[in-house]
Amino acid sequence: MNGYTGKILRVNLTSGKTSVIPTQKYEQWGGGHGMGSAIFWDLAKEKAISGFDPRNVVTIMTSPLSGTLVPGASSRTEVQGIGPHTSPIEWFTRSNFGGRFSPMLKYAGWDGIVIEGRADKPVWLDIRNQDVNINDAGELWGMDTWQTQEEIWRRVVGSRKSEGWTVLGSEEDGPRTTQMPAVLTIGPAGENLSRIACLIHDAGHASGQGGFGGVWGSKNLKAISVIGTGSVNIANPGALIQACLWAQKKYGLDLDHPDESWYSWHGPRMPQFVLWERRKDARLKACIGCHLGCREISKSGLGNESVCVPTTFYRDADKERHKGRQTEAVYIASDLLQKYGINAYEAFKGLYYIKALNEMGVLGPGKQIDCDLDFSQFGETGFVEKFLKMTACREGRGDDFAEGFYRAAKQWGRLEQDLKTGLLEYPYWGLPEHGCDPRTQVEWGYGTILGDRDISEHDFSSLSLWVSKMKQKGFTVPFPAEQAVKLFTEKMTPFEGDMQMLDYSTDNIYSEHIAKLVAWHRYYTRFWKQSLLFCEMRWPDFINSKSPDLRGLTGEGEPKFFNAVTGKNFSFSDGIRLGRKIWNLDNVIWAVQGRHRDMVSFADYIYTKPFEGNRTFPEYYAPGLKNGKWDYILLNGRHLDKTEFEKFKTRYYKLEGWDIHTGRPLKKTLESLGLAHIADTFIPPLPRDC
Amino acid sequence: MSKLSEKRSATIPASEGYLVVDTKKCQGCMTCMLVCTLVHEGKENLTLSGIQVIQNPFEKFPNDLTVEQCRQCAMPRCVEACPTGAIHADSQNGNVRRINAEECTGCMACVEACPFPTSRILWDSEKEQARKCDLCADTPYWHEKGGPGGRQACVELCPVNAIKFTRKMPIKDTDADKGYKVNLRGSGWRNLGYSDQ
Repeated sequence: MNGYTGKILRVNLTSGKTSVIPTQKYEQWGGGHGMGSAIFWDLAKEKAISGFDPRNVVTIMTSPLSGTLVPGASSRTEVQGIGPHTSPIEWFTRSNFGGRFSPMLKYAGWDGIVIEGRADKPVWLDIRNQDVNINDAGELWGMDTWQTQEEIWRRVVGSRKSEGWTVLGSEEDGPRTTQMPAVLTIGPAGENLSRIACLIHDAGHASGQGGFGGVWGSKNLKAISVIGTGSVNIANPGALIQACLWAQKKYGLDLDHPDESWYSWHGPRMPQFVLWERRKDARLKACIGCHLGCREISKSGLGNESVCVPTTFYRDADKERHKGRQTEAVYIASDLLQKYGINAYEAFKGLYYIKALNEMGVLGPGKQIDCDLDFSQFGETGFVEKFLKMTACREGRGDDFAEGFYRAAKQWGRLEQDLKTGLLEYPYWGLPEHGCDPRTQVEWGYGTILGDRDISEHDFSSLSLWVSKMKQKGFTVPFPAEQAVKLFTEKMTPFEGDMQMLDYSTDNIYSEHIAKLVAWHRYYTRFWKQSLLFCEMRWPDFINSKSPDLRGLTGEGEPKFFNAVTGKNFSFSDGIRLGRKIWNLDNVIWAVQGRHRDMVSFADYIYTKPFEGNRTFPEYYAPGLKNGKWDYILLNGRHLDKTEFEKFKTRYYKLEGWDIHTGRPLKKTLESLGLAHIADTFIPPLPRDC
Repeated sequence: MSKLSEKRSATIPASEGYLVVDTKKCQGCMTCMLVCTLVHEGKENLTLSGIQVIQNPFEKFPNDLTVEQCRQCAMPRCVEACPTGAIHADSQNGNVRRINAEECTGCMACVEACPFPTSRILWDSEKEQARKCDLCADTPYWHEKGGPGGRQACVELCPVNAIKFTRKMPIKDTDADKGYKVNLRGSGWRNLGYSDQ
């Protein structure tokens, strides 16, 4: 097989036995998410259970592109299973992470790992090529994620060095590598069954959403280590190299001669995705195979590999405390998130939520919500150290924090009121808002509420987030709204040509045009980004200033690389169609878990409180039609209309071919997608027609 | 050193090409390693790459990463150690030190002979043969002229231009990094907010 290794490792922690699933059985799903959903459907006999239930099945999947030269698609790993984070139902969900785990898993000869059952005591999985052992993790339990990884490195590499190479196996002329094992691990938060616990790899790669850290903790699974010396076969090496050179020359940023006017999602002019103050003495750090890194390794060793929210989590608190000056507290805070294995979004939103409650006189030492945190030290290192430790270890009020702040608010009797006012900015499924508010960038909020988690997919953010940033800084937006919208919508097959898919004006946000936008977004991300694992930070590329006509490489690039690796003849549209199939499978799983359209509803404040900007974006813009003309329109001052949103849902379900009364896939739709076998096993039977 | 080795050493002409790297500029993506095995073997395999990037994400910059490329030594101990002459200076390709796979018996003498902490000789445990960097003199899967007179895949594909080919021998003393680890950063790198020192 080209791209694939041919084997998926199946691990039963209850029995302590391992076995092999042939990849060919699931090859039709592409890789990553598609395979994970299909495997979960087959192996999870009970799906309407808690994420902490030992019957939960967790998949950790690569793609055929993992470990290859495909730029920005070589290193992601997709984790799926029932996640304990969401409410009221713990949805079957997903979260992926970068670094070097999926390449190393491929080099060891595995396309993925399936975890079932629960070990009766802490264990770690030790994969060395085809040699797999379930080892006692008693001594590792209690260690933070960095300590765990370094200890496992020591155990696996140990004294096996020969001329600087680690030799696997017992023979001196055995397979060898210079690389350290790639380890995925939980920290104390996961061990203590926190619903907001992550899986951490290396210094700053996290499977952050879903609460998989707690799931592993409930299974007594501390870590998975993999080291491999094998190969990934490539169908057409020449074509792959040419594709890389094509992407580099035609669409790539020349870091040595960056053009001031450059812009592209495939390679931003400032590629580092760190939101704290930049450091001069640092390395730009990439995942394996990535053409343009987004992380850093610092001279101090603090904040290594952290990006996005971990780098902003304590930034404002620190600066406000220290009169605009940034201190090491921001890096220490980020490192603690990684070491404890705590979801950064929850920590960030939760931190400011409890601060607000403290300022209201409701939460603090001796208050109605008694909490042993000294808020007079907010912004200092000591404060955040204590906050994160109590969360990870469930100490004092940290026991509530570890449940996530939605459940904490419920525990404190404040949920309803704080969701009404928006004091608790948790608009969907008990999850914190991302910064791309449902009242503004609607495909984000809609995609989330129609799915299982904060989608965290920035595919359209260059039209809103970037534009808002440029306007904030007083820059001229280099691509007019109409031109930009055209560049996007012309590639959004099968709905190409409908420019109103990207009309964010209030008159349009409940229309069938937006239903198409949401649907396309689900299909593209389910296949190209979550199954083939093209990285969210570098794909898709719709607008690229290097092209004379500004057209980016999306639509042509994705299938070019996939076909070069696998030898298939797959088109961009084929991928969109398969994405639709995967999305429908996920929706069947959620239907089994109890999803009904009546629960697909935002928190009250989304329908009543106008959006008035946020910490990052005081003003939020997106393209839209205003008096018949395209422009970037200001979206402040509006909220969603509940009645209109209900009408939108009906339009969306119709577009998908789903039952408008329940929001569940119809049997005829599943049959048309080749999912008749799934439709037939669904209990109660799915209706055939609306 | 044996008399045979002394004789060999005295007669081995210098390579006409070398790779130099900027280990502070390297972003650790391992594109060089991935393309090396792709052009030579037609598959992806870090173990068989003629250039090795070794990194530790928990370390402090710049000690978190090193790039270990073959130095095309003036006095190549791998050539001296080879009992069959499989490793030789290829006069058809600018005297690049390379292995003739047909003559390699898999004795691993070259692997042990490489004087650097990480041996630059690779070991293919499946075929039981040694491999090494040949400056892309022989790349069955890349139809570009390679060797010291041509192009090197790792140089071409490195996304941050952290690898450079040079005809000038970096230093005469093969036991030091000097000359092989260089500064390839310029004003563009400063524009990213990083030091170019």
